[in-house]
Amino acid sequence: MRHRNSLFPIVGLSLGLSFLLNLCLGTVWIPPSEILAGVLQGTWEKASWEQIFVNYRLPKALVALLAGIGLSLSGLQMQTFFRNPLAGPYVLGVSAGAGLGVALLMLLGSAFGITMMGITSWATAGAGILGAMAVLAWVGVVAWRVKDSMTLLIVGLMFGSAVSAVIGILSYFSGAESLKLYTVWSMGSLGALNWAQVGLLSLLVFAGALPVFFSSKAYNALLLGEIYARSMGIRTQRMRWIMIGSTGILAGSITAFCGPIAFVGIAVPHVARMLWKSSDHRFLFPGSALLGALILLLCDGLSHLPFWSSALPINALTSLIGAPLVISMVLKKNFSKDF
Amino acid sequence: MAIDPHIALEGRGISLGYVQEGRRKEILQDLDFQLFTGEFTCLLGPNGVGKSSLVKSILGELLPWKGNMLLQGKALRSLDIQERAKQVAVVLAQSAYPGTMTVGQLVALGRTPYLGWGGKLQEEDRKKVYQAMEDTRISHLQDERLSELSDGQRQKAMIARALAQDGSVIVLDEPTAYLDLVNRLEIMHLLREFTRTKRKAVLVVTHDLDIALETADRFWILNCGLPLLSGKPEDLVLSGQIQALFPSDRYRFNVARGRVEWSQVMPDYLIEGPAEKVYWVKKALVKAGITSLEQTLVITEPFGLRVGEESFPSVQAFLWNYFLNQK
Repeated sequence: MRHRNSLFPIVGLSLGLSFLLNLCLGTVWIPPSEILAGVLQGTWEKASWEQIFVNYRLPKALVALLAGIGLSLSGLQMQTFFRNPLAGPYVLGVSAGAGLGVALLMLLGSAFGITMMGITSWATAGAGILGAMAVLAWVGVVAWRVKDSMTLLIVGLMFGSAVSAVIGILSYFSGAESLKLYTVWSMGSLGALNWAQVGLLSLLVFAGALPVFFSSKAYNALLLGEIYARSMGIRTQRMRWIMIGSTGILAGSITAFCGPIAFVGIAVPHVARMLWKSSDHRFLFPGSALLGALILLLCDGLSHLPFWSSALPINALTSLIGAPLVISMVLKKNFSKDF
Repeated sequence: MAIDPHIALEGRGISLGYVQEGRRKEILQDLDFQLFTGEFTCLLGPNGVGKSSLVKSILGELLPWKGNMLLQGKALRSLDIQERAKQVAVVLAQSAYPGTMTVGQLVALGRTPYLGWGGKLQEEDRKKVYQAMEDTRISHLQDERLSELSDGQRQKAMIARALAQDGSVIVLDEPTAYLDLVNRLEIMHLLREFTRTKRKAVLVVTHDLDIALETADRFWILNCGLPLLSGKPEDLVLSGQIQALFPSDRYRFNVARGRVEWSQVMPDYLIEGPAEKVYWVKKALVKAGITSLEQTLVITEPFGLRVGEESFPSVQAFLWNYFLNQK
């Protein structure tokens, strides 16, 4: 118990430090002392630093924070609900669904003559969320019938390829401009949001995360499966819709704004389980949220190291780090037992 | 005999089944039953007769097509899921479990219906959790992780969780199905013990006739198309009704030995010795396909066999010699 509670300040402190580090890193290195001075006293050594900080670095760091929280929370919810250690927004095709929603809007929109200016941040987020929820409902129908991780993975993978086929057809018929817009979106970027969009995203992440923190008890009971959970008074039908709503809003809006970001949702809950040595959601929910934010901030920092000529796509980086992590966890003995 | 038995759960005219490809498949018809507080009841019957369906309907997982289920006089249907959880707990044959969870945490899950949404245990909840672990004698395992337990220990922890749920009825669907003999005995005796001391109504679905005979206060015997047979196990044995468990005359319940046997004509061998030892020697001869003996076989003390002048230290040695002479 003591061990578990003492982890929170440590992870919280690391999160604060990585947030600061993230603000410093980029094509131009801004020393931490300057950032602190700038924020606390409002004095900047160079005017350009203030510009970079306010208009680019700070919103990007906030988006990384929000996306990390949102993706890990949706991953944890899905893993517990499906009782499947490999569940996550990306693997189960929820991100692909969000991608399809956005693609339909961007690519099909141009076919119907909606100009690029007409696609607002609201519309993008809405399309992403709708797409994500549609997939989740569909995958859910399959997943509640099968306990087998293989089947679920295959369904998710098949859905992913079906979606990319649909997107392929859409791109074939769409204009160069909207095609480029979509391609850039699909590489993932945390830094493409203006302040209004950051505001909207934080609102959505807050809305998606809110029910999670009232559901620790129910998710703990669901660890034993739905029959046991119902026998202990949990309304599993209601929880199902809460899970779909929450993960749909979280993964959908984040994917809509930042593009697909792989592996955070599936890997972070496992790291939290390992660190906290617990399956109690009272620790896992806040723990995963903190860890997710921490990890995504670090990944984003890595992608902005000064010696890259330009920033690496964040999706590539999380995949490069996440894939070996998940592979090593799967190969570990007792992986599914420890879940 | 239970003191002041009163009905914890009652079924009146229960019919239930499944709808499969548009066709209604009725499994149980017009079933009446009563589960008594302070009684350890075992539900027996062949595979596929609807035992699990009955359990599901008690849990509210399967709604009866006809009839009423009453929990302490109140219709089960009218109870809200949370209220029902405070009355009826369940243990299944095998369940998914999170390996990182400790026994203490698992048992604490039993308090779920009593907690707020945050899931924080109060002092009283903690007491009940400790008590439940004490009653199932797993207190020493409190901080062990579920992945490190044996199947038997894990099942005991699941039972402790059901106890911590503090209801009046506990239903167990083949709780010992995957356990070894000693664990099966231990768990059934444990269930029997707290049925008395905690005044619970406990219903166990089981296929272990021997252990059930030894532990149960009451049998429910379910058979295709027949009404539920309910009674003291001893009464069912003495009246011969226990035979209802077996589909054909090939299987006979041996009243003297308290177990089912493949009925066959035992040849009249000439064997001398104490009756219980004669039984086992006969068994070995039947298995070996020997239909008659020419000479009397004497069982000696300490154990050995003697035919005429020849002595054998074991049945094996006797058979060896017997078949050698045959050739």
